[in-house]
Parts: sequence; C-alpha cells; structure tokens
Amino acid sequence: MAGPDTIRGWGFVAPALLWTLAFFVVPFGVMAAMSLATLEGRELVWGFSFDNYARLFGQSYLLRAIMVSLEITLTVTVVSILLAYPLAWIIAYRVPERWQRLALLLAILPFWTSYVVRSYAWLLVLSREGVINQTLLAIGVISEPLTLASTRFATVTGFVHFFVMLLTLTIYANLVQLPPNYRRAAVDLGASSWQAFRHVILPLTLPGIMTGAFLTFVLCIGDYITPQILGGNNELTGPQIIMVQLGRGANFPLAAAMSIVLMGLVTLAYLGASRWLRIDRL
Amino acid sequence: MTHSLMRRALMGTAAILALPGSAMAAEDLNALVWCDHTDPALIQPFEEEHGIRVNLREYEGTATALALLEQSRPGDWDVLVIDGIDVPRAAEAGLMAELPADELPLADFWPGVAMEDQTQMGGKTYAVTEKFGYNTISFNAGKVDAADMQDLSTAWSEKYKDRIAVYDYYLPVMGLAAIAAGKQTADLTADDLPALKETLFTMKENARSVGEVVSSQTALATGEVDIVIGGGEWLTAVLAEEQPELTWTIPDQGAVRWSQSIGVLETSENKDLAIEFVKYIVSPEGQARLATSSCYWGMPANKAAGEHLTGAQKDVLRWDNQAEYLERAQLYPAPDAELDGQMQNVWLEMLQH
Amino acid sequence: MRRSIPWIYMALAYGFIFLPVITLVLFSFQDGRLPVPPFNGPTLEWYADVLGDERLMSALLNSLLVGAGSAAVSCALGFLAAYGLARHILPGSALLRGLLIAPMTVSYLIIGLGLLIVFNNYGPGPSLYAAAVGHVVINLPLAFAIIYASMGAQQENAERAARDLGASEWRVLALVTIPMLAPSILAAFFLCLTLSWDEFIIAFLMTRFDVTLPVEIWSLLRSGLSPRTNAIGSLVFLVSVALVIGLELFIFGRKRR
Repeated sequence: MAGPDTIRGWGFVAPALLWTLAFFVVPFGVMAAMSLATLEGRELVWGFSFDNYARLFGQSYLLRAIMVSLEITLTVTVVSILLAYPLAWIIAYRVPERWQRLALLLAILPFWTSYVVRSYAWLLVLSREGVINQTLLAIGVISEPLTLASTRFATVTGFVHFFVMLLTLTIYANLVQLPPNYRRAAVDLGASSWQAFRHVILPLTLPGIMTGAFLTFVLCIGDYITPQILGGNNELTGPQIIMVQLGRGANFPLAAAMSIVLMGLVTLAYLGASRWLRIDRL
Repeated sequence: MTHSLMRRALMGTAAILALPGSAMAAEDLNALVWCDHTDPALIQPFEEEHGIRVNLREYEGTATALALLEQSRPGDWDVLVIDGIDVPRAAEAGLMAELPADELPLADFWPGVAMEDQTQMGGKTYAVTEKFGYNTISFNAGKVDAADMQDLSTAWSEKYKDRIAVYDYYLPVMGLAAIAAGKQTADLTADDLPALKETLFTMKENARSVGEVVSSQTALATGEVDIVIGGGEWLTAVLAEEQPELTWTIPDQGAVRWSQSIGVLETSENKDLAIEFVKYIVSPEGQARLATSSCYWGMPANKAAGEHLTGAQKDVLRWDNQAEYLERAQLYPAPDAELDGQMQNVWLEMLQH
Repeated sequence: MRRSIPWIYMALAYGFIFLPVITLVLFSFQDGRLPVPPFNGPTLEWYADVLGDERLMSALLNSLLVGAGSAAVSCALGFLAAYGLARHILPGSALLRGLLIAPMTVSYLIIGLGLLIVFNNYGPGPSLYAAAVGHVVINLPLAFAIIYASMGAQQENAERAARDLGASEWRVLALVTIPMLAPSILAAFFLCLTLSWDEFIIAFLMTRFDVTLPVEIWSLLRSGLSPRTNAIGSLVFLVSVALVIGLELFIFGRKRR
C-alpha cells in the first residue's frame, strides 16, 4: 500500500494542511516575530529584543493581569465541572431516552442570543435593582442589595453560565458511551452506589471531563467580552490588557508578547491534561 | 440529504464570492468616525442630496485610527473624525489634506472653539472643530448633594464611596485630577505623575467601577452609581428626557473640555466630495443634528446651529452657560509620546489597584 | 423527597441557564429608553425598529453567509483531511493530526491578531472574506476532529465491500463514505455555524464596513444600552427556538418513530 496510495492520501490532506499553514502557522510566526519587536515612540522597529517580555514580567500590573486571568479561569473551570456533571448525569441516566436530545437542545438554545447582549443582560440581572437582588430582598434573606455587578463574581458567573452548558455536553457525550452494565456489575459485586460511581464511572468519564475542562480553559483565558462587560474594570485580565495595548497605544509588540504568554499557559494546561485528551475520543 | 447540503453550501459560498462587487461604488465616501456620526438623521440628508453612500466605521482610540490609516491603501478612507488635541499629530504625519478655510463658517464659531493652534499648521487648515463638550461630573441630583459636586475632590471623596463610576479614558480623568490639584493641563510633566497617581488611586478606591460609555451610562441610569467622574452632557443628555434627575455641572476648580474635529484625508480619491461632507457637518443644520445625535450629545461648534435647536435641547446642553463654561474649562492634556506612554502606565496601574 | 432531588437540581440548572435570556427577552418589549427595571408595558416598537434597520439586517445576512460559508469550507477541508489520514498510511500522521488540531488550543484573540497583522501588511486587508478565513481557521480543527473520530471500522468495511464490487475511489467516497458519515458531518457543520455565528473578536478585527451581527451589535451598544439590542438578541433567539422545535417535530422526530 505504498507509492500511489500514499500520494493520494497526501492529496486528501493537502488542502486542510495548506490552509492551516497559510492562515495559522504563518500569522502565528509573524506574531511571534512581532513580540520580539519594539516600539520606539510610535515607530515599529523589528528586531530581536526580549524587552516586551521583560516588561511583562517586570511591570506589576501586567503580571497581575496574568495572575487574574489564571485565577478566574481555574475558578470557572472547577465550578463549571462541579455544576455540569450532575446535570449531565441526570440527562443521561434519569431523563427518558426520547427526551434526552430535547433536554440538550434546551440547554444550548439560550446561547443563540448574541454573546454581547447576553453579557449585558447578566449585568442587569446582577445589578442592585436586578432580579437576583429583588428576589433576595423580597424573601428577606438580605436587607440591603448586594454588590454583585462589576465584580469578579459577576465575571465568573458570566463564564460559568456558558461553560456549564459546554461541559454538560462533553460529559454527557462520554456518559452515554459507557456500557450500562459496568455500573450494574460493580453494584452486583458488592459496591455501594457511591463506590460504583467513584471507582468505575468517574474514571471512565475523565476523558469527557478533561476535554471539556481543557476547552473551558482555552476559551476562558482568551476571552475579552465577559470580563470587560461584567468586571467593571476593577481588575484587568490578560485579554483586556491586550486590547488596551491595541486600542490606546497601538502597541502591537507588547500585545503580541502578552498573547504568546497566554498561549504558553494554555500549552502547559494541555500538557497537564494530555493524559486524558485523546483526539480520537472526541 | 447530503446532496442538498452540498448544494446549499455551494450557493452560500457563491453568494459570498459575489459580495465585494456589491459593497462599494466609486462614488461612496468612506469615513472613520466616532459613534455620534452614525445617526441616520445626520447622514441621510447628505446622502440624498448628493446621491451617494457614506460608509461609516467607528473606532476606539486615536492610536488605533492612526495605525489603521497608516496600514491602509490610498483611496481606502476619505474623512476622519479625530480628537481636536490629536490633529497636530495627524497633520505632522502627513495624513490630513488641506481644507479651504475660507469656505468654512469659522466666524460663527464659539470663542476659542475653532482651536487654530491645533487645527492649523503653517497657515494651512487641516481640520475643523465640529463638536465640543466637557468631561466633568455627571450625577443624580435626586441622590447627591449638588453643592458637593461643585468641588472636584468632594466628588470622589470617601463620602460617596462605592457610588462613583470613573469614565475609562485616561486623558480627561487625569486632566481632572490635575485641575483638582490646581495645575494646568497644558503644563503637565513627568514630575506631576506621582501626585496624579495618588489622586487616581483615591478615585479608584472610592469607585464602584471604571467603565466606558455604555457601562457608565447604564450604571448611572440603574442607580448602581450616582456620580460619574469624567461624565458630562454627552453622558446624560440622551437620558435627560426620561430621567431628568440625571444632570451635570462644572465644579469651581474647572473641568476639561473635549473637542472633536473633522478633516479630509490626504490619500482620499474623493477629496471634493469629502470637503462637501465637512462643509455639511459644520453648516448650521448639520451642526444641530450632530449636536443631538443619538450616540451622545454635545455643543455644536457653530453657534448658528442654535437656530435649529429647540429650547428644551438648548437647556439640556446649557446653551446659556456656555460662555462661562468655556472660560473655566481647560483642554485635554497633550503629552508627547514618552509622557503619553507613562500616563497610560499610571492609568493601567490604577485599574489594577 | 430524595427521588425528586435530581429534578429539583435540573430545574435550578435550567433556571440558571435561562435567567439572562428571560430578562433579555422581557426587556425587548420595554416601553422606555433603557432596558432596565421597572418594566413598562409591552411594546413592539423595538422589533419594528430592528427589522427596519438596514445595517442590522445586512449584518444579520452577513453573519449567515460568513457562518455557512466558513462552516462549509471547514467541513469540506476537515472531511478530506480526515479521510486522507484515516484511510491511508502517511508518514508523520501523528504530527499532521497535531498540526491540524493546534489552532483549537490558541485563543481567538491571538489568531485574529496574527491574521490582522498579516492581512493588513501583506495581504488584501479587512473584509468579510478575511473574517470567514479566520473562522475557517478556528473551525477546521473541530470539524476535522469530529469527523475523524467517527470514522470507524464500520465505514471501512462498507468501503472495502464497495471497492470489491468494482466501484472507483470517487464513487466509494460519494456513495458510501459521505452518506454514512452524514450525521457527524452535519453535526460538525452546525457546530461550526454556531461558533462562527456568535464569534466577535476575529470578526471585529477582520472587517471594515460590512460587518457581522456581533460586531454591529457591539457598535450599537457603544451608543448606550437600548431595548433595541435586546430586540435583536431576542429575535435571533426566538427564530432559532422556532427552527429547533420545527426540526425536532418534523425531521428528527420522524426518525425516532
């Protein structure tokens, strides 16, 4: 199966490969080169300088932005997993099979509103006169409206809202692939419900969890809209700094350097999760 | 099923391929503007009169616009709306085309608003002021003591902790901080930065949020905050009809005046039409529409626009106080590249505080 | 009580998911300048406004075109690549797979930035095409992964059988492979369409005057919050609800029975 077959194989792969090379690898290379350039006054000077990176790690507010991004992303990932798993479980094992697709669709539908408009809707929901405060006041849990909008809590809530949906999908996809006998077998062999879950089901669903978690990490750490609208600029994340560098100072080199650093974090996350991330299991 | 899918995909792709021809005609005008120019009420009369289309693109900050222009090809852009204070930068970079000053109604402008120092270079006019207003204190008169708002430092003091929003633009807000310390915005140097930083940190500590137009407006309108530092008529005028308690003032120490100019680009291939557009914008009718444009209101540079504005509109703009306000307000700080970078750094530090 | 815990949890979860959307839709009927409480009597003026707004409607159309176009290209390229890698032995195939998947690990902002620099300095400049190109970059890995994962032994056997019966490679492809993979190709298409539809940052960086819906909404919002943006958000939502319910009842529903 050598010669002509291999060539034909390459022929099939070529279009996708060329596209990726031209529109991903090359721009990425240009950006990496840009991160090594400097800005003199308002002039761009190509070169080989690590000034931008030095500045990133030296300037407190830039480093802080990276930390903020990491903290928020990790919080969002953990909370989303904890909230999504039960929901995925319920849909996979408690909802009658013919309603399962509908249940999933219902979970996805709200995300067919515009992302930006939805984020502003969250801002209103969390505001002092918004639904949440009004309800809490009405049932007497609090006496004064809580400060929820324009805080990290708001940013995390906005993110969790989206990623719970995403994780529910990936975990559900994993759960339905499991043969139902495994759990039954474990119980028959004397395990309690909890043990069956912890030692049988959970490990088998780890790929689904880790895939979803990885996607969450990537999308969350690079997102500009949610922190911008819901965070109140009370603390800045990496993407916000990047946009500021682009918008105010047209400082492409620094923006590029920051982007590369964020990418580095994602690569670390990938390496950490790679044990469970298998492309063919997607 | 797959056949129809393929067919649909092909049709979609063909439709996309057909797009570019339909979008631009040679007689179109391409303008890089601020959001107040996208109001159809402003643009349509001009489009109809000249039978052309005006393509509008909004942009964030002057640096972005300049970068965009430097990366564009000749003929891409015809008209530019730019911060008055940044016109020298654009003119020196050779981006602006000369305007026929004698065809502009500069004599009808409010005193000091024509800003010859900025808009002219070597005797040639490169831009003309079209609108101005103030970055000062906007507040909810129903919840805040108006007398307190006459003093800049009180407006951002601990008395109003957590009820303040700061407008997210470093130049005017740092200008306000300077004015509160008794300095002139035109005289700022790097030595002033530490003191300014302290003031900014105080502002941040007492503020709920730092936001751009939408966030600040929403926060004020929903009662999240009661004061906006850096706000002004541009922030509250559109809300004035439904919420008349939202208002603004110029404190005793003064405030910062923003002004925007409009000009024609040197690389434009439609210069005559572009100049006509500029003349329309500074004409009394154009000015009145621009002043009350849907994105944000502001004072028209051309006084004659007053004939086309209603009494109620003039009240909201404080038409009758303008002579006094113009005296008490100062222009934006105009730092050189190095100081500008340092000021931005201070601002970002403040945001992370 | 214990039996109903799952259902209570589910109700709470769906409540959480729908909360902002309900607010959004509710205030699209707001009779007032701002979509903030208190709610004043329902009015359809904002919907009329939105449907009559030329820029919004063309942005909507642009989003559909860019979405469908980029999804189609992504699925086509992804399918071809998946077929090439799954059915042929190629040297360095693990590396190839990794390269094709790589863009999925990079944030949209970075991809957009890179493309912006290249297109502005060395290429044609911003346009809807540029945005579509960017969207293919982010969606191709997904399409490839989904289709590749679904290429299993079943299809391989069917293909071999068809080949044994004398069909040429292209006929096998068109009459056996693609129809058998139709569900996952379709799934990939809709997923890519969804992701492209709501994508903001790449579209923002790569377009000039003809923009997609998220970018236009962003522009609208620069002028302040208004029930108008609620209306457009709700419009899209309500239309997709109707579409989904329709599909479910008439197409997928039939298959179930």
